[in-house]
Amino acid sequence: MAASAPPPEKTEENPILWVARPMWTAARQFAKSLVRPSTIIYPFERLEDPKFRDEVQVASGKPIGVGHVWDNYRGVHALNIATCISCNLCAFSCPDVCIEMVTVPGGDPKHPKKCPQIDYGKCSYCGFCSDACPEGCLSMTTRYELSSPKRADLVYSPQKMYEVFQRKLPMSPIRLERPANEDAILLDAPLCIGCNACARDCPTNCITMLDIPKAVAKPGEKLPRRIWKEPVVNDSDCVRCGTCISVCPKECLFWGTHP
Amino acid sequence: MVTTLYDVAYFLSSSLLDALGTHLPGILGTALTNSGLIWLLAAVIFGAILLGASMINTIMLIWFERKMLGRFMDRRGAMHVGFAGLLQNFADGLKLFRKNTFKPREADALGYYSGPTAYMVTSLLIFGILPISSGWSDGSLPLTLLLALVIFSFAPLFIFVSAWSSNNKYSLLGGMRSAAQMIAYEVPILIAVVAVVVVAGSFDLTTIVNEQQNYWFWGPLFLALVVFVTGMLAEMERIPFDLPEAEAELVEGWNTEYGGMLFAFFMLADYLRALVGSILVVLLFLGGWTLPSYLPAGLTSFPLAGILWFMIKTYLVFGLFVWIRASLPRVRTDQLLRVGWMRMIPLSLLSIVLAVVLVAVRCLPVFGCLPPVGGT
Repeated sequence: MAASAPPPEKTEENPILWVARPMWTAARQFAKSLVRPSTIIYPFERLEDPKFRDEVQVASGKPIGVGHVWDNYRGVHALNIATCISCNLCAFSCPDVCIEMVTVPGGDPKHPKKCPQIDYGKCSYCGFCSDACPEGCLSMTTRYELSSPKRADLVYSPQKMYEVFQRKLPMSPIRLERPANEDAILLDAPLCIGCNACARDCPTNCITMLDIPKAVAKPGEKLPRRIWKEPVVNDSDCVRCGTCISVCPKECLFWGTHP
Repeated sequence: MVTTLYDVAYFLSSSLLDALGTHLPGILGTALTNSGLIWLLAAVIFGAILLGASMINTIMLIWFERKMLGRFMDRRGAMHVGFAGLLQNFADGLKLFRKNTFKPREADALGYYSGPTAYMVTSLLIFGILPISSGWSDGSLPLTLLLALVIFSFAPLFIFVSAWSSNNKYSLLGGMRSAAQMIAYEVPILIAVVAVVVVAGSFDLTTIVNEQQNYWFWGPLFLALVVFVTGMLAEMERIPFDLPEAEAELVEGWNTEYGGMLFAFFMLADYLRALVGSILVVLLFLGGWTLPSYLPAGLTSFPLAGILWFMIKTYLVFGLFVWIRASLPRVRTDQLLRVGWMRMIPLSLLSIVLAVVLVAVRCLPVFGCLPPVGGT
C-alpha cells in the first residue's frame, strides 16, 4: 500500500488575527488611496486625460490612441460633407438600416445632394458604412459619449457629424487601397433608349454617353425610339454604387463581370 | 474671558440684555440687566448652540464616514454637492424632510410614531450632560457618567417598540435582535467603566477628565478601552455588530417600514449615538479636552481650544469605528453573545483588577503618577 501523504495539519489561528488581518488590509488600502483613489470622477475627468495615460496599461501593450482608446475604436461617425458624393453605399451596407440619406444644402435643386443621417439608437457600430464609403468621407472616431435624455438626440444629422469631423478626433484608419472589384456595370445595348439618366445620376461622373452609329431602318420597319447614345462606364472611376442600375428606366444596365 | 462655550452663551446673553436694558426706562432696565434673567437666557442660548452643534456634527459625521469608507474602498465618496460633497448629507436630509410621512395600514400609530421620536430625543438628551470642554458643569452633577450610560441604553426599548408596532416580520426580527444583543454588551461596558471610575474616583465626567492630567487612561487601562470600544460598537449597532439592521438578511431591520422624516430620525439618531459613543471614549480614555503637558501651552490657551481638541479627538475615534466597519464582517448573534459573555466580561473584570493595582501603586514607570486623591 502506497504511503499516502498525511493530511495537512489544521492550524488553529489566533482569533485576534481574524480582526487584525482585515484591519491591516483595510489600512493599507486606505493609505494607498488617501492621495488619489483609483476611481476617477468620470464626467469631470476621464481615462483619456494625459495624467492617466501612463497608468492605464493594456495586456497587449500600450494603446496607441489617446489614453486608453485605440485609434481604431468605432465610435461616433465623422462625416466630411464636402467630399461626400451621395453614393448611398453607406445606407446600402448598413445592416441595421439606421442610415438615411437626407438632403443637405449644396446640391442643385433638381438633384439635391444627399448625405447620411445616422440613428445611433439603432446603430451597432459595425463600421460597414465607413468601410463601404468609396471616398473616405465617412469614418468612425474615438468619441464614445452619446448619452442624452431624449431619443431624438440620438439621430445625428450630417451637419452634426460634420462638427465631429471638424474636431479632428482620431479616426479609424480609412481603407485607402480598396480590393480589386471584379464587378462591372454591363449594358444590354438593344434595350437602351439613351435617356442619359444613368450618366446624370452617377455620383462620380464616370458614365459618359457616347454616340453610336445610327441604325439604318429596313424598309417597312420602324426604328425603336432611341437617341443613339449609349452609356460607357469608366471602370477605374466607378465606385460600384449601383445608382445607374436603379435609375435605368428600361432595366438595361446590370451587374456582371468583365469578360 | 471667553474660554468655554457657556462663556460665549453668557457673553451673548449679557450683551443682548445690556443693550436692551439701556434703552428701556427705569426699573425695567435694571430688572433686565441685574436679575437672573441673564443666566436663564444664557442657558437657553447655550442649549440652542448645543442642539445646533450636535446636529451639524452628526451630519458632518455621516459625511466623514462616507468619505472615509470611500477611501477604504478605493473610491471618493460624495463629491458633487458642495466642496468635496460637504453639503451632500444636508441635501439628503432636506429631501427626506420634504417627503410624505406615511404609516402602514396595520401598524400601530402610537408606537409607530413615538418610537423614532423617543429614540431621537433620548439620543439628544445625552448631549445636555456631556462636558465638551472645561468649566462645563463644575462637578455639580456627580453621576454624569452613569446618567449618560443609562440614557444611552434606553435605545433598544424604543427600537423594539417601533419594530413591534411596524407590524412587519423583518422589523420585529430586528427589534428582537436589538433587545437580545443588549444583554451581550451592557454588562461588559459597565464593568469596563467601573475600572475607569476606580482610578478616577468619581462618576463625574469632568472629574474623570481632570484626573487624566498626568497621563491619559488609555495606556494603563488598555484592556478596559478594548472592552469599552467593542461594547460601544455593539451599543451603536454598527458593523460588525449591526445584527438588528443586517441589510443582507433583514432588509433594513427595525426601520424597514419607515420612510421620510421618520427614517431620517432613525438615521440621525444612529449617528448621534455614534457621536456620543466617540465622545465617551474620548472623555474616559483619551483625556477629553486636555493635551499632554509636554506640548506647548499655546496649543490650549486660545479661545475654545478645548472644544477644538475635543472634536478632533472625537472624529479620530469615530474614524477608528469607520475603520472597523470597513474591515470586519458582521458576526452572528451567538458569536456576539459568546464574545460578550466569555471574552469581554472576563477581560473587563481583569481590567478592574488592573485598575485597583494602579490605584494602589499610584505611580507607573513610563506614564507618571496619578494626581493626589481629591485634588484637582
